[in-house]
This record gives sequence, C-alpha cells and structure tokens, in this order.
Amino acid sequence: MDIRNFFGGKPSQSSSEAPAKPAAKKEDSSATRKRRSRKVVDDSDDEDDLAPVETPATKAKPKSQSKPEEPKEEPTTSSDYFASSKKKTRPAKTTEKAHPDKANTVAESPKPKKTAEEPANKGQNTTRGSTKQAAKVVKDENLGADDIFASEYGKAGKGEDAYVARDDSDEDDDFEMLEVRPAAAAKMTQKKQSSRDDDDDVVMEDLPKIPAAKARPGRKRKSEALIDEDEDDDYQEPQKETKKAAPKAKAVTSPTAKKQKAVPKKAKKEDKPESKELQDIFDSIPTIEAPEPPQGEPKKFKFGAQQSRDPAMSGTKEIPAGEENCLAGLSFVFTGVLESLGREEGAQLVKKYGGKVVGAPSSKTSYVVLGGDAGPKKLETIAKHKIKTINEDGLFELIRRLPANGGDGKAAEKYAEKQKADEAKVRAMAAEIDAEEKKREAEKRKISTTTQGSKTTANVSQTPPSSQVISSSDLWTTKYAPTSTSMICGNKGAVEKVQTWLRNWHANAQADFKKGGKDGSGIYRAVIIHGPPGIGKTTAAHLVAKLEGYDIVETNASDTRSKKLVESSTLGVLDTTSLQGYFAGQGKQVESGKKKLVLIMDEVDGMSAGDRGGVGAVAAIVKKSKIPIILICNERKLPKMKPFDFITYDVPFRRPTAEQIRARLSTICFREGLKIPPPVLDGLIEGTHADIRQVINMLSTARLDQKGLNYEEGKQMSKSWEKHLILKPWDIVSKILSAQMFSPSSTATLNDKVELYFNDHEFSYLMLQENYLRTKPALAGKYHGKEQRLKSLELLDNAASSISDGDLVDRMIHGTQQQWSLMPTHAIFSFVRPASFQYGNMHERPAFTSWLGNNSKHGKLSRYVKELQGHMRLRTTGNRDEIRQQYMPLLQEKIIRRMMDEGKDCVDSVIDLMDSYYLTREDFDSMVELGLGPMDESKIKLETQTKATFTRLYNSRSHPMPFMKASNVIAPKGKKEMPDIEDAIEASDGEEIVEDVKNEDEEVLDLKKDKYVSLPKKKKAPAKSKKTKKADDDDDGDDEEKPKKARKSRAKAKA
Amino acid sequence: MALLVDKLRPRTLDALSYHPELSDRLRSLARSGDFPHLLVYGPSGAGKKTRVIATLKELYGPGVEKIKIDARVFQTTSNRKLEFNIVSSVYHLEITPADVGTYDRVVVQELLKEVAQTQQVDLGAKQRFKVVVINEADHLTRDAQAALRRTMEKYSPNLRLILLANSTSNIIAPIRSRTLLVRVAAPTENDICSALHLAGKKEGWTESEVLNKRIAKESGRNLRRALLMFESIYAQNEKVTDKTLIPPPDWEALVTLTADEILAERSPARLLHVRARLYDLLTHCIPPTTILKTLTFKLVARVDDALKPDVIKWSAFYEHRIKLGSKVIFHLEAFVAKFMRIYESYLMGMDF
Repeated sequence: MDIRNFFGGKPSQSSSEAPAKPAAKKEDSSATRKRRSRKVVDDSDDEDDLAPVETPATKAKPKSQSKPEEPKEEPTTSSDYFASSKKKTRPAKTTEKAHPDKANTVAESPKPKKTAEEPANKGQNTTRGSTKQAAKVVKDENLGADDIFASEYGKAGKGEDAYVARDDSDEDDDFEMLEVRPAAAAKMTQKKQSSRDDDDDVVMEDLPKIPAAKARPGRKRKSEALIDEDEDDDYQEPQKETKKAAPKAKAVTSPTAKKQKAVPKKAKKEDKPESKELQDIFDSIPTIEAPEPPQGEPKKFKFGAQQSRDPAMSGTKEIPAGEENCLAGLSFVFTGVLESLGREEGAQLVKKYGGKVVGAPSSKTSYVVLGGDAGPKKLETIAKHKIKTINEDGLFELIRRLPANGGDGKAAEKYAEKQKADEAKVRAMAAEIDAEEKKREAEKRKISTTTQGSKTTANVSQTPPSSQVISSSDLWTTKYAPTSTSMICGNKGAVEKVQTWLRNWHANAQADFKKGGKDGSGIYRAVIIHGPPGIGKTTAAHLVAKLEGYDIVETNASDTRSKKLVESSTLGVLDTTSLQGYFAGQGKQVESGKKKLVLIMDEVDGMSAGDRGGVGAVAAIVKKSKIPIILICNERKLPKMKPFDFITYDVPFRRPTAEQIRARLSTICFREGLKIPPPVLDGLIEGTHADIRQVINMLSTARLDQKGLNYEEGKQMSKSWEKHLILKPWDIVSKILSAQMFSPSSTATLNDKVELYFNDHEFSYLMLQENYLRTKPALAGKYHGKEQRLKSLELLDNAASSISDGDLVDRMIHGTQQQWSLMPTHAIFSFVRPASFQYGNMHERPAFTSWLGNNSKHGKLSRYVKELQGHMRLRTTGNRDEIRQQYMPLLQEKIIRRMMDEGKDCVDSVIDLMDSYYLTREDFDSMVELGLGPMDESKIKLETQTKATFTRLYNSRSHPMPFMKASNVIAPKGKKEMPDIEDAIEASDGEEIVEDVKNEDEEVLDLKKDKYVSLPKKKKAPAKSKKTKKADDDDDGDDEEKPKKARKSRAKAKA
Repeated sequence: MALLVDKLRPRTLDALSYHPELSDRLRSLARSGDFPHLLVYGPSGAGKKTRVIATLKELYGPGVEKIKIDARVFQTTSNRKLEFNIVSSVYHLEITPADVGTYDRVVVQELLKEVAQTQQVDLGAKQRFKVVVINEADHLTRDAQAALRRTMEKYSPNLRLILLANSTSNIIAPIRSRTLLVRVAAPTENDICSALHLAGKKEGWTESEVLNKRIAKESGRNLRRALLMFESIYAQNEKVTDKTLIPPPDWEALVTLTADEILAERSPARLLHVRARLYDLLTHCIPPTTILKTLTFKLVARVDDALKPDVIKWSAFYEHRIKLGSKVIFHLEAFVAKFMRIYESYLMGMDF
C-alpha cells in the first residue's frame, strides 16, 4: 500500500502546483488531521518509503546490469562508452544510478536518485532548510545529465559508428536488451519475473488515475491555503519542494528519452526524401533512441514501433482525447503542411492540452511537428538545435499517452513550478486586494463612526456587512480596477511616460513649455493616450492622476461636446485650482496636495455629428491650457484627430500579452471562487483580443451559474462574446486563399466561406480576382515538373471561368434586374469556387484590387475621347471608337511624334492641324495620355523648349470653336416653356445665317460661366479680330457653298 | 490642313466614287418630295454618313453644310443633369443618343418631340420637314427605340429620321418596318485602291500600286482606315516603295505584343502580366470585343490547325460573356487562361 501511494503521489506532484497534495491527502485520510504532523510524517514517509523502494531498484539493477555497474566509478571515461552503449554509461554516473531504474519503471526511478541525494543533503542541512539546496543540487544534476545527452547526440551524429554501435549493443548486450525491452509490452513478462512486477503494474494503472485525483486535491489545496494562511504554507512548501526534487531527477531523462524515441522513428520513415544534412541528423538519432528507455511507459514504446512499421498514412485521422493538460510545459512548433491537421487546428489541439505553440523553433522547443513542405529555415534551426521532430501522429500519440499534467517530465516539472509561482503571485495579489478592501472598509467605518458620531456601536458593527454588500454589487471591472500602477496589466512604459509627464507638468509650465526634458514630453500641455478598447487607458489615466495628487475633471462621450460647449464648460476649469485642496467633506481629511486639477477628456474620437467643431475646440484649448489635459481615444490615425498632431504628446497603449493579464485574472477567479485552468483563461484572453474588461465581464457572467470553465466552454463563450469585427478586404482574401481553408481537415463549412464574402461583399470578390493568381495552389502540389505546370494551368482556368460566371451573376444583381437574392450565388461563383481551386500559400502580401483604379482611369480616358470626338465632330464622321482606333494613331503621328522629332519648328503647322479639327490645348494633353504601346505616355518626351513654344504660340493665337452656348436645362416633363435653343435657331434662321464657328465665339463670350470658355487669352483675341470677323461674316453670307474655305481664310486673317 | 479623309470627303451624291446605283436611288428619293425615314446600315468606313450628308445636301441645298455644335443640358427624372451635344444646321439635327448611355430615352423623347412640334418657319426652305440624323442607332437602348416608334408616325409631317447603324440586328422590328432600309456595303478593295490613287494624285505623292493594294487589304475594306493608313505611311516615309511597312496603330501593336507573350509562356505569373496589358488596353478606350477579336486572330495565326477551332470557340464564348457581363476584364482574363490551358495541354499531348 505504501508504495502504491507513494507512486501514485509522485507524478501528480511533479506535474502541477499541487505537489504534496495527493500523497498528503491520502495520508490525511488515514493519518491524523494535524497538518504539521502530517508534514513530518510525509517527510519521514519519503525516506521510509525510499528505503524499500531502493532496495528493489538496486536489486533489479544487478539482475539486468550487474556488469555495467562496474565502470560507474569513472564518470569521465563513461562518456566514452556512450558511443557504444549508452546504458552502460548512465549507470556509471553516481547520480545517474537512477537511470537503470527508469528503464524499468517511470515512477520508481526518481526515488533512488532522491534517496541518493537527499540523505546527504539532509544530513548536512537538516530537514526543511535543506530542501532548497536539494532542489538546486538536483538541478545541477539535471544539467549534467542534459550535457551528457548532448554529448551523446554529438557523438552519435558524427558518424555512422552510431548505427554500428547500436547494432552491437543490440546483439551483444543482453543486459541492455533486457532494459530496452521492458519498455515494450512484449518484454513485460521478463520484468514481471523480477521483484518489481507489482510496481510496474502500479505505474500503469495509477497514471490514468492520477490526474483526476490530483486535480481535485490541487484545488482543495488552494482553498485550504487561504484558510490556513502562511504557517501552513511554510510547512507545505518544503515538502513540495523535496518531492519535486525527486521528480525532477526523473524528468532529466524521461522527456528526452521519450522524445528521442519518438523522433527518430518518425524521422526515419518520413524524412527519407529529405536533404542530406537532415538525413544525418536523423541517422544519428537512432543510436540514442533505442538505448533510451522510455520512462517506463511501455505503451509509448509500442506506439513508436507501430509507427515505424506502417509509414505515414494519409486520410483523416481521429483526433485523440488525451488527459487534461497532458502537454503541460512542452512547447511545439508547427511547420509545413500536416497530413490531416490544419495548422490552426494543431495549435488549438496543443493549447487545449496545455502545451505552448511557438512560431519559430529555438533551442527551447520541445518538439517540431513536421509536415510536408516545411520551411528550409526552420529545418535549419531544427538541425542546429537538434530539436526533436515528430509528425502529427506523433503528436496524437503524445496526447494519447502522456499522463495528465504532463506526467512527471522535466518540462512538466518546470511548468508546474511556474504554475506554483504564478499561484503564489495570485495569492499575494488576492491578499493585496483583501488588504485594500479591508482598508476601504476601515475607512468607511471610520467615516461612519465620525459622521454618526454618537450613534450606537451597533451601527459600526453593521457597516462591514453593508460595505460588503456594496462591493459585491459593484461590477467586477470596478471592483478589481487597479489601485496602483503595478496592478495595471501591461503598458508599464506608457503609464510611466504619462506619470512623468504629469509629474513634471508644473515645472514645464514654469518653463513655458520650451524645454523638452529627457523624453521630449516637456513641450506638451496635453497627452493623448490611444489604443484599442478594454486595455485600461481610462483606468491608467485616472490612476496616474490620483497618484500624482491631481483632482480629476472628466468629460466623456456622454457629455455633449460641441465647440461652444467645450469652450464654455472648460473655461471654468482651465485656470482654477481644486477646492479639494482646501476643504473636505464631513469627516474627511483635507488633502492639501489636491490643489491641482487635471482634465481628462475621454473618448475624444467619439465626438460625432452632435459635437460639431468639438475636436477643433479641444485642440485650441490644448494649445493654451493652464492645467494638464489627458485625452483618450481609440484611433489616433483618424483624419478628424488631425488637429491634435504636434500639440499633444502621443502615448500609444498596446494590447497586453496573455501573460500580463493572466495573473490578474487568476487572482480574480481565485477570489471569486471560480475554478478556471490557465489554458482556458488564455483562450478567453485570446478570444477577446486581450480586452481585459471583456474577459472580466465574461468571468463575472460565468460566475453566475458555474463554478468553473473548461476549455470547450471557454472557447464557446469567447466565441459567443466575439466582437463581430468586419474583416478588412486583405484579411478576407488571405483567409479564403489560405491552404487550411479547403484542406480535407478544415472545419470551415461552405457557409463559413460564404460568410467571408459577406464581410465586404463589394470588395471580397474583387480582391480575390486580384490575388488568385498569386498563390501556389496546393492542389498542384503533388505533381512535379511539366505535370504540375499543366495542373496549375487547369486550376487557373477553372478559377478564371468561375470568376467569369460570377460576373454574369453580378450583372443580374446590379444590372436592371436587381436580383439581390442572388448574392449567395455570386459569393459561390466569384469568391468561394475560384478559391477552392487556387488555394495555397501566397507568395506575397495580398494586393489591393486594381479594378477600381483601372475603372476610374477608363472613365477618365473615355471622357477624353468623348471630348475629342465632340470637338472633331464637325469634321469627321466617325464615332468614338473609330476616332480612337483609326484617327488617333495618325493624329499622334502628325502632332505628337512630329513635335518630338522636329522640335519647335513644326509647332505652327501642328497648331494649324489641330485648329482644323477644333482641337484645344487640353485635347493635346488628352491625346498624349491616350497613347498606348509605342506611343505610351511614358515614352513621349517633348523637349521643354518645344513644349513652351507650343503653349505660347497656342495661347497667342485665336482658335475656332465649334460650340454654341448651352441652353437652359430642359426639365424632364411638364414645363412647356420654349427653350432658348429654339429661339436661337429661329433667330439665326431669320437673319444672318449663322456661320458656325466665329459667331459662336462671341456668343460664348457672353456666357462667362460656360465651361468651354477656358482659355483666358482667347477672350482677347476674338475681341481684337471682331472687326475682321464681321467683315468675314458678311462675305460668308454671300458665298455659302464653301464654308470650309471661308473658315480657313478667316483663320488666316486672324493669324 | 485637315487630314486626307476629311479633306477629300465627297460632298455631293455625284462626287461619290462607288456604289453608283445607291447614289442614284438616294438622289431620286431626295427629289421625289416624299422622303421616307431611312435606316442606313453598313460596316464602319463604308461611307454611310458621307452618303447621308450628301443626300441632305440634295434635299436642302448647301444650307445643311453650315453646321454647329450645340451643347444642351437635359435633366433626367432623377434630377441628374446630362450634357448633350447636338450637331445642327437650320435644316437638320444630328444626335448621338448613345453618348448619354442609359439615359438616351430622355434625350430621344424630349428632343424629338421638341423638334417635331415646331414647324419649319423658313418658307423658302425646300422641304417642310426637318431631318434628325441619329448616329449609332444600334446602340440605342430598347426603351429609346420604343420611344421612337410613335414619334415616327405621329410627327411625320414635320420630321424625318435617318438612323445610322452598323447592323440592323440591334434595332427592334417595329422600327425596321417603319424605315426604308439602305445598306451601304463596304467598298471593294478595288474601290479603295482607286480612292487611294485619287488621293495620291491630288496630293502629288508618288504612289505604289502594290502598296495601295496592301493597304486596301490591311484596312479590312474600311475606306476611312485605308485613307488614314495611307496618309500615315506618307507621313512617316520620305519615299514609298512597294515594300514599305504599314505601321500598325498603337493599340494593335500592343495586342500583338500581348499575344506573343501569351504564346511564349503559360503560367500564372504570365497571366498576371497579361492582365496588366489588358487593363492597359481597356483603360485606353479600346473596346473589349475589339481586343478579344484582334487577340484571337493574332493567336490563331500562330497555333496549330488542330487547335484553331477550339480557340475560336472559346473566343466566341467569352465575347458573348463580355456582352452579358459587366466587368469585361474577368472574361478577357478567363479567355487567356483558357487559351493557356488548351495550348499547354496540346503541346504536352495530355490532359487532366
């Protein structure tokens, strides 16, 4: 029984904050309830238990490894042995005695080690005091062990000897075989014969049990701790640590052993096609792998064997359900495309089980989950740091096999330690809040006593409950608002900036804001804090003001803040000091420091239509304020915030990281009796984009009907609380085209994809059309060379024709039919379906759609053509397209090219040609712009002199105008008044037969507003030549048949 | 100083150099005193407008040549203001309702009624009616065409319509039945050659018979185009021989370049590049159908015979879609993608 308990307790201790609990608990039940005694008992227990345990261990060793023990004496030489056989060496080390044990059973191994160290340590330092040292020693040993492994790796990696060596060991070392095999289930029989059969069984059975058992005690312990307070802690801690020390020793080998095992196997089969260097790495690993006994988890080993037998299978796999938190303390990197898991899902999975997902591999990474197409950079780092690589099956297996809370692995150990530290912090913070609350209560009580004066003591005694009632009715966000700068989550630097600015404000005011000071903030009268909602901007501003002894005047969006009101209301504030510095409410102390005022203007960007001119007014006030002003807004970059540029000190607040918030949140949970494991908290934080306020509100909601949250619930909750933020066009397109979206394992339904389109239905399909050619289609990934090219063209064609289909639907929606119910159809055709062909990794950042720009350019240029055609109309019979396609090339040749080639000499005749077609100076520019290909605008280079001559000459001459004045607007119906045009025509009809051009010039002159009168100099010219013109007109009247000639002659006359 | 095309444009029915029987018919119509509504149709550059103007001159005398442009502003029912240019003489009006796109109905209704309700005041005028020439009648919307129907009958004492179109297919049957259809066929290559010869002689250019023939062929029996090409060649070359290169218009050069690029490489990156080219053409007011047609013929000329029907088929398919859809680039791109695929798969001799 003892032993069982012992083993049962071990893993749980190591795994989480609850180290002592299980063992303690069990003993509790059996032993007396006194904690102190329990502790003592515990300690003694350890030693007592150890003794019996150790003996079997040592016994076992001799059995299997009687010989290897001999070289023990010389650790240095032992390292040499590694190359040939690792097992031998390990026993060789004094501390590594544990190893052989490990080979046999997971749980046992640590004990011997502990016994080895602990007795010694304890002997020196006596009892509890020694624990820390013990831990240290153990750590050192760990390091040593690590090094050894490292050296092993190194050696193994150096050459193929490793392989040979392993073979040797397999064949020669019966002992080793014995050790290795025990891990495998098959070899269990052999072991069972040994004295430790029972132990093995125990381990296997206990492991699953532990998590549940441990979880409960762990929580209980928390609450107990609260009650028992510090003394109890003192007792518990040493105990914990001692216990932990033991597991740590285990941990040294266990995770590494596991890893090694998992790695090489997968590496072997998967990475055959990999590069040479990788091959080397993977080759080297096997040597380590076989000898490394897997922490006594036979199942695991089995898994490895299985893996090696049947190579990577495709198709969807069942995602295993593992023990809670089983990946605790391990960090993973995902790279490449996994077989069945999306990267997102993989990350989700790892997080669910308490693991950490990191972006890039480093030496601290526990595993790299490798898929096809892994980035070469990552592979390099993997090679460099010799990180263990597994595939997704490996990951599943890890989840399936690992005991809850990461078992007693080293990583889990660290994790547990961290968690413990966190918890200590949480408790400290909780205590702080308690103290705070007490203080407040006390204050209130004091006030009440003073105010009520003679009133009965009964009253006083009543106050505490009442205050409690008040505090509990507060929103949590108010209740747990930070009361010191240290309690603000994240943005420490920003808060400090504001604080120093505020502190120095009056000094700066003395200097008339001329001196910048250290951080350059001295020249500003106001500070503007900006950042996303819910990260504590307002809280920080208030807190800083309070700490710096300012009295606060606040305005926010609930006040109307139009220009007038801002001016009138702030006038009263700006040159005043606070009354609070001189007077105080009944029973309160006069706070003499509070003479200063600070104006906090919250939600400055919330000034809307009702607050016309408000921003400008605030900016004006900021420029001459006599008190510090703190402005707060969400979006600093908005155009309407422009008035604040250069006159305020910008302090950006960023979203705090999950770590920064987590401690605070756990404190709150702890105080409110909510049981929420850290991964769930992290999930909530992530789901809300680090909006502290929202998370606290969520917790407060959860508290109403639940005592705790698990991962799924948390996820669901954060999803339902999700702020429905509309994705930007860029995000939409990169999401729909991402490799995960359409992979077989994707959980995104068709609806989800259509939903993406509706995030911005005007842009999404345009963005997709712009970017679908920029992906590396995943569907073509399995082909090579020519086939791949053809496949990708096929996908391309499918996508393009689907987009074309989509446009037809678009026409039905936006055309005359207005069939808006076809929107989903449009979404499918123009957005989802093309993406379903072309999804894959994007080469570059998605580009913004070029359709819009080109469309407006088209609009502009077709207006030019229209104008050109309008001008040329008297002369030509062609329509617009004919003008563009047939006349333009020749006109460009005759006008533009000629001026380029011949320079200013030809300007005169060019202008003649233009005049004959009624082309204006603007038309010349349009023609330049309309050029294409060889006549592209960028290729047209006119000498500046030519250009100047052209402009000068053109302006100095008068030009024929084909236009008559525009008549009044003709109303669509009803008004039957005779339009002017009729008169004009009739009039002209009667008398002088209107000889187009020239007369119009005069008429045009009357109409100043007429847009065709654009050239100022033109006015002069006609005026001058009026007389000649009139003469001409008379002539024209006579010879009507050849108006063209007349026109020409007139032009000449003018010239 | 104008270009040849416009300088040498015949002004009377007598001066027209080809389709003499058509000129005769028009002349007799004009003289008959019972001038019908006309629907003049034929390909671009065949001389429709020239013929119509000559007919008008026959009707009214030289007064029709005194023309001016009148900019008028119309207001739509949705209070949008449309600016609209009218070319007019005392006797006739020339409008292009397609200028205002979908609002052409407003223009047709207002303007025609207005003209129709005013009688000819000039008692000395040869005809009691005014003529309204409607350009690009085949681009009129259905609504506008429907608006024409009743007007044509009701106001016939005061108004005659001459519709100009490239083809009658877009003109609704009621209109066709109310007009006299006049087809102006494209000039034959010989007609063009003689026209070019005449022009060359008038300008005193030494011309080459062979080159003229080449121009006639290259122009696609479009006399306007032929004359412009003719002038363009003489503007660029001092001396013209039989083998002088006919410079392609700027946009055609770009289409040719695009076709070369498509044939040279078939890949997503190239399609991206081609898209930019197509955008370039489209923004510079080259109609999408022209682009597609030119591109197709450039491509077809360079692929194997076995592939030609397929290319033409898809080209027609996407041309249809260009008409049906709204964002033409999608369809042009789809055509290029399709071509890349069939071409590549043909080259490799396999398909998926």
